[in-house]
This record gives sequence, structure tokens and C-alpha cells, in this order.
Amino acid sequence: MHHNKAVEIKNLHYKYPDGTSALNGVDVVIEHGETVALLGPNGAGKSTFILHLNGILRGNGEVKILGLPINGRTLKEIRRRVGLVFQDPDDQLFCPNVFEDVAFGPINMGLSKEEIVTKVNKALASVEMEGFEKRPAHHLSFGQKKRVAIASVLSMEPDMLVLDEPTSNLDPRGKGKIIEILGSLPVTKVVITHNLDEATKLCKRAIVMDEGKIVADDAIEKILSNESMLKNHGLF
Amino acid sequence: MKHFFIDKYSEVKSPIRNLDARAKIITFFSLILLCVTTPPKALLAFGGYYLILAIMLVISKVPLSFILKRVVIAIPFILMVAAFIPFIGADVGGSYNLWGITLYQRGLLILFNVTVKALFGVAALTLLVSTTPFDELMEGLKKLGVPKVFITIASFMYRYIFVVVDETMRMKRARDSRNFEGRWIWQASAVGHMVATLFLRSYERGERVYSAMLSRGYDGEVKSLSEHPITRKDIIFTLFIISTAVLLNLSYALIKLFIGG
Repeated sequence: MHHNKAVEIKNLHYKYPDGTSALNGVDVVIEHGETVALLGPNGAGKSTFILHLNGILRGNGEVKILGLPINGRTLKEIRRRVGLVFQDPDDQLFCPNVFEDVAFGPINMGLSKEEIVTKVNKALASVEMEGFEKRPAHHLSFGQKKRVAIASVLSMEPDMLVLDEPTSNLDPRGKGKIIEILGSLPVTKVVITHNLDEATKLCKRAIVMDEGKIVADDAIEKILSNESMLKNHGLF
Repeated sequence: MKHFFIDKYSEVKSPIRNLDARAKIITFFSLILLCVTTPPKALLAFGGYYLILAIMLVISKVPLSFILKRVVIAIPFILMVAAFIPFIGADVGGSYNLWGITLYQRGLLILFNVTVKALFGVAALTLLVSTTPFDELMEGLKKLGVPKVFITIASFMYRYIFVVVDETMRMKRARDSRNFEGRWIWQASAVGHMVATLFLRSYERGERVYSAMLSRGYDGEVKSLSEHPITRKDIIFTLFIISTAVLLNLSYALIKLFIGG
């Protein structure tokens, strides 16, 4: 497995149904175990890009995830192994209570009841949300919702985590908590963020996107020291 | 933002709360059905139904005021439909004359029946919902054979109604902060825009939620793990309440049969 790349994308183009082009030729390779920050101004195409990482969107171009080309046969496998955490936890948590939300993935994987319960408990423990199983999502605070949203993909034990602004709208303590949780997970991670401090804490590599293209891809210190580039792309 | 939840008291521990949702659904719906089909003049029977409900209410520890508040909401609807009935009617049975307005006895009896039965229905359903958490209620309905698509729609509605209410509140605040008074007819367009925006946002949220479901392997059916075996307690409760209600339902006819009234 490890001679494959986690993500291998060549010349990816995507147009929204209304004709707006969102991705204009993205090339990227991400190795197993890397944690990559995805930076860029609003409307750069970051969210559209990550929806390609588990085949929710299928643009034109060559997309290989965890060594598998995305097609009808591999889709299920890829979605199990790539955990996508959406920006708004209200989109991610749609079940009547926390347990069912976290169990949603494992149930769809067709696991046995014991396995499901074990995985849910483990996932909730890793985001420190044990004891909330029976609570409906709308009774939780925003920070708690964010953590449960992460647990809801951890329960599938993904090989890769993709997170869309995991710390947005959180207070400093909530942000710290999420960073700590993410730091402790030993999987490949792609994290969209606007917070350069957090990006430095979590990631060794950063990719900058603007206008549907990758405009910089380097070690994070190098990216952050290139002030003129950051200014050009609305990041500084 | 804080919301008022319809199943606010559903986590209060009580013997009724602990019963299986299926048992409660069957019991409460049978109660309502039996109450509605009781002959109009069986006043004692109606008293009996309300007594059953009152006893369950006490056991369930749900405050009476909570149930009453829900029940009051139904009154205008009942009056709208039935308030005029006593004033029109055939000359079967007697009639009263109140300052020149004729009130028909038969019509009054119908009004009484509609009110008593409708209020009983609302009160019974409120008690059911207040003693059963929403997810258990949905699970129970699913196991009783309600089509999955209805369950899914109801579950999503319950899940997202608060999100939409929040969004509306935020929009309203933002609008009022810009000195919107909503007093003149030409300002109606602002309300129209709000409704349209809300629709679009909900529609887009629907797409995002669907993406989130697909990401976790959704294949067209929401599956669930929960298993609640029916216990003897559930069966005894259901049988006891329903048989009592059946007796009440038949009591009028039985009394007539034996006494020949």
C-alpha cells in the first residue's frame, strides 16, 4: 500500500453546473502520513477541491486516492477510507442523536453491532465526547458539534482525514482542543484553514490555492516567509 | 439560541417514559380512536378517558401546565369548525331560546362532543410525545411499519427545524437593525426576499447534508442499530389501558342493554 501516494491528482478541472469554473488544472501529490495545510482566499476553490478527494464531485482529470482511481467500483472503498469533515457541523450531524451520527458510517459499512459500538466509543473517546451518546445534536454547543463531526468520520477509521476549516467560529479554547485532537491522529491529513498559526502547529507542508489553481506548494515555513506571495493571494 | 422543544420532558425518568415506544404509540392511538367512536351521550365514558389520561399524567411526572398549554392551542381550531353548530340544526330534540337566538340541543351535544374528543386527542398525543424522546418515537413508528420515507422526512424536519428557525431569527435581527419597520405594503417585498433566501439556503443545505451522508457511505436507506425488545411490562400496560378503554367505549350501550334506558 505504501508505495502508492495518498493523493495523486493530475490536471483536474471542474465547472459548476451554471458554467462557473472552480478548478482550472490542479496538480498535486500527497504522500501517506503527511499533514498538509490548504490555504487560499475565499472563493479560491479549496472546498470544491476537497470534495474531489472522496468522489462527491467528479471533475475532468486524473484522480487517484490511496492508489485507487475514482470510479463506480472504488467509490465505496474510497469514501470509507477518506473521512471528510464539513465546515458546518449542522451539515454533518443529521441523525436524532450523537450515537447514531457517529455510528452512521460504520452501519453503512455493514459491520456487526459489537464492532459498531466499539468503534463509536473509540471515536467519541478520541474527541473527548464520551457520555454524550444519547444527546440530540441541536442540544450541543458549537465546539461540541465540531468534535462530534470529527468523531463521525473517525468511527470509520479512515486512512486520510480531510477537514474544511475545522476551527472556524470556535473560541480559543475550542480551537486549541481541535488542534490537539488532530495532532494526535496518526493519519494523512488535508486541512483547509485561514489561520496561519494553526497551520504551522499542525502541518509541515502548505499548498496555496487561488482562482482554481495551485499557486504555491512548499514547506510551510517557506510559504509563510514569502510575504509578497501571501499578500498577492489575500492571505496576509 | 435556545429553543422550545416539543419533547422537552421526554427525558424525565418515569414508568411511562421507560415503556417501549411501540407500546405507547399503539396504546395512545387506540385510546384516541376509542374516545372518538364513543356514543355522543356517554358522558361517564368521556370522564373515564380523561381519568385514564390524568392517571398516566401523574405517573409520567409531566407538569399539567405543559399539557394544558399545548391543548389550549387547539381550541381556536375547534371553535372555528364547530362553534356555529348549535345555531343551525334540525328540530330533532329540544332547543333553547337565549334572548331571541335559538340554540339547538342536538347541536350543543355535537359541539360538546367535538370539543371533548378533539381536546382528548391533542392531550393524549402531547403526553405521548412528552414521555417519548423523538428518536425513540421515530424508531417505534418505523418498527410498526410506517413507510421509511415518512420517518426520514419527519426525522430531518425535527433535526433541521431549529437550524432554520435560528437562521430566520438572525435574518430578522439583521433586517430590523437596518430600521425595517414592516409597516407599509411596499416593505412586503423585503419579507418576500427573506422567504426566498431562506428557501435557497435550506435547499443548499440539503445538498451539503446529502454530500455529508454520501461521504459516510449512505446508499439510500438510513439504518439504525437500536434494538428494544418488547417486555411483559409493555404488553400488560397496552392491554390494560386498551381493555379499560374498550369497556368505557361500550359502557353506554351495555348500560342501555341491561337497564333498558
